[in-house]
Amino acid sequence: MTAASKRAFRIVLLGIAIPMLMGAGDQAARFNDLGHRMMCVCGCNQILLECNHVGCTYSDRMRAELVAAVDRGDNDDLTLQSFVQKYGPPVLAAPTKSGFDRVAWVAPYLALVLGLGLVTFIIRGWNSRPLVLPANAPAPVHGAELDRFRAQARKETET
Amino acid sequence: MTVALMACMFIATATLVYVFYLPGTLYLGPRKTRLSFLRERRETVYENLRDLSFEFKAGKFPDADYQAMKTSLEEEAAAVLSEIAHLEEVARNSAAGNKKGARV
Amino acid sequence: MPLIGSFALLLALALTAYSFLAGILALVREGPSSARLSETARRAGIASFAIVFLAAAVLVTAAFQDNFSIAYIFHHSNRDLPAPYKFAVLWSGQEGSLLFWSLLLSAYGLVLRLRYKTDPRLFAHASVVIAAVQVFFLLLLNFAAHPFAIMQGSLPADGSGLNPLLQYPEMVIHPPMLYLGYVGFTVPFAFALAALIMRYPGEKWIHITRRWTMVTWGLLTCGIFLVMHWAYSVLGWGGYWGWDPVENASFLPWLTGTAFLHSVMMQEKRGMLKTWNMWLIFSTFMLSIFGTFLTRSGVVSSVHAFAQSSIGDWFVAFLGVIFVTCIFFYWKNRSHLLSEHRLESLVSRESSFLFNNLLLLVACFTVLWGTLFPVLSEWVQGTRVTVGPPFFNRVNIPVALLLLLLTAVGPLLAWRRTSAESLKRNFRFPALGALVVAAVLVAFGMRPWKDVSYFYSLMTIALAVMVALTVISEFVRGGRVISGHTGQNLLASMVQLTRRNTRRYGGYIVHFGVIVVVIGFAGSAFNQDKEQEMGFGDKLTIGSYTLVCQSYTQDDNPNYGSEWAVMNVFKGGKQIATLNPERRFYKASQQTSTMPSIRSSVSNDLYVVYEGQNPDTGRPIIRAHLNPLVMWIWVGVWIMIVGTVVAMIPNTAPVRVMAPARVQPAPAGAGD
Repeated sequence: MTAASKRAFRIVLLGIAIPMLMGAGDQAARFNDLGHRMMCVCGCNQILLECNHVGCTYSDRMRAELVAAVDRGDNDDLTLQSFVQKYGPPVLAAPTKSGFDRVAWVAPYLALVLGLGLVTFIIRGWNSRPLVLPANAPAPVHGAELDRFRAQARKETET
Repeated sequence: MTVALMACMFIATATLVYVFYLPGTLYLGPRKTRLSFLRERRETVYENLRDLSFEFKAGKFPDADYQAMKTSLEEEAAAVLSEIAHLEEVARNSAAGNKKGARV
Repeated sequence: MPLIGSFALLLALALTAYSFLAGILALVREGPSSARLSETARRAGIASFAIVFLAAAVLVTAAFQDNFSIAYIFHHSNRDLPAPYKFAVLWSGQEGSLLFWSLLLSAYGLVLRLRYKTDPRLFAHASVVIAAVQVFFLLLLNFAAHPFAIMQGSLPADGSGLNPLLQYPEMVIHPPMLYLGYVGFTVPFAFALAALIMRYPGEKWIHITRRWTMVTWGLLTCGIFLVMHWAYSVLGWGGYWGWDPVENASFLPWLTGTAFLHSVMMQEKRGMLKTWNMWLIFSTFMLSIFGTFLTRSGVVSSVHAFAQSSIGDWFVAFLGVIFVTCIFFYWKNRSHLLSEHRLESLVSRESSFLFNNLLLLVACFTVLWGTLFPVLSEWVQGTRVTVGPPFFNRVNIPVALLLLLLTAVGPLLAWRRTSAESLKRNFRFPALGALVVAAVLVAFGMRPWKDVSYFYSLMTIALAVMVALTVISEFVRGGRVISGHTGQNLLASMVQLTRRNTRRYGGYIVHFGVIVVVIGFAGSAFNQDKEQEMGFGDKLTIGSYTLVCQSYTQDDNPNYGSEWAVMNVFKGGKQIATLNPERRFYKASQQTSTMPSIRSSVSNDLYVVYEGQNPDTGRPIIRAHLNPLVMWIWVGVWIMIVGTVVAMIPNTAPVRVMAPARVQPAPAGAGD
């Protein structure tokens, strides 16, 4: 069989397998969920279930394996783990939540918290120190002069 | 090949002439003065004041808020206006002084 | 021909180097001779545009003449390539893209140098900064990625062709848009750095660069959405954004640029956040250089490609130089950036801008982090991990929702401080509207508790409604004030309102466009797809549509061969459309590509892909996607573009203050 005919064969096979899973409802949802948590490893850089790469030698095989795993009733972790074992860590579409990978997930939230902290700190800092005016700011005026110029400003901005 | 070389020579010459042949006088433009800086500032503060009263008319904040914000903006405007007035007076005096000097 | 091209590149390098050095010398030395020197520097900058343009023209001409003695033309073109795509040859490969970058930069430089009369000294400083960036790209072109390198050995009969994915109309226009956006940030960067270097008094430079920044931002926005549309209509996987490193690279400067557009208003209006804005525009520029580096060096797709690509080192060095320069001048002139006011209250327009900036920067950090994490992981633990859409969606959606909330809240807050009374006054209406819409959606069967993606969609739509109501209330209330003055009807008053303050109301139109786009994104939580082999008369049902295969056939032309199917689309028993999904095989490059066929409506897109053919039966394998609300994205983008254009129109009825008495100018430094 050529690569293309193999693919066609598998699609037909899936065409039969997926409706069977659909009967189980839940299993079809799991297939869909797990299939969106993995990448196709052919180099197309697409989510497994979204790979439409014609003649892709990987995605059909992987989908068939996923169908089999879901059918067997393997739990999510076991299924994903078996794929990692077979295709290497890049098969997972997102970093895991253990080991160094956790850093990937923590950093954005940490950035948000630190950022919030920093902004609050800066605002506090501004308000606790007397305002140092830049050297070229005009000096404030007082008394009669203030009233005179305020009146002028009011007159010139009335439209 | 020679045509290409000639073309290169021509381009280079034309460029050099354009860059270095400067007939006539150059436009230097006005230097930015303290006064022009202050006038820009005045425009900004005025703009803020107009925005404020427009938003007030649109009903975006209660009267108390409006009065407080208006007061502080007007104080800011006053500071700028006073310095503008001062600089303009200095300039007028020095111009008058120059004229007097010329008459003597 | 290649000789003229190579010569033009060398000459352009000489001109920009002169423009840079003479420009600096003229600024450092005062005196009458420096004015002449400065003028020659300016002219050298202008001439550099003509010369770089010449080089680009030579390259495009070579593509049209099928001059395969030039290696670049051999690798990116072929004889049967249609004419418009021969233009695209200029930006389809590395060397050409860099030449194109230089061309656009010189073009921006040209406009800047021609408009120097606005403020000659400020423009001279900015021109020097631009010249420095030009020098970098021309060094790269001359010594690391030469577009006119000659093919070694015997002359090939035909080129190896343009990547078929790039043979699509949007591909001809989207890189220029994106590049115009990327490159355009050089201009506000140059002005900001110039203002810092010369301790430019006041905030006028922001006013001068405002339109530049908006044009750049608008072009980058167009570019990003064109990429999305291209991905959607060519890549054939049914989606529009895959969080690919290249896509992320364009998104990064967009995020910081958006932050800058907002926070710069605080500096213009209130003299605050000067340091912050300075660094924001520095970062935006560095990210656009970094984005070019990411797309061009292959650092993310593989660490090994990084080691091989010599231009990677050039970019790293250049980024280092920019960073050091920025730090140096910031440190030297930091007293120039003192704030004139303090933040008076946490509930104010100012602080809403601060938080908007914070969220945009966190989003930027997250995208950058996710893009680079595979490299980091390989470095730390030796294995490469994938950071794909699940990561980005999960982390960015909450941030995006918060941003949407701020978009709704921000415009209703007063500058300085907002009292509880005014909060109540302004928020009742939009918040109530959002709640009502959420309740209606739940009543109509949306189940946010079933899946987090449904929850996010519901939140998105509710917040979008809130933003819309905010925008509408701003227009209506402003319009009423005007109609009270002039007696016009409300619509005419709202038009006049917009014309009086185009930036603010144009900005609101952009906000409105953003929420239309975001509603389109929210639809993706409800995507469906189905795949099936289809012979004559076979049916596939998805959503309320039924596809019936009418025929399938093959075709051939000199550039590519194709297979396609004719599918009739029925809805409610009535035929509503005919779709022709297609698969092409490009001969020169020996690559296949899919051409999905799409039927768009306001509520959903039916997206049909010709996946391939079963060789045993000869029947096509068809995949159908049902993507709700996608059209909203493209409509929203148009609204955003309209808003950006409105924001660039000068205000009518400019404020006139009495002409000041003519006076002798005192030097700018007075009082400093």
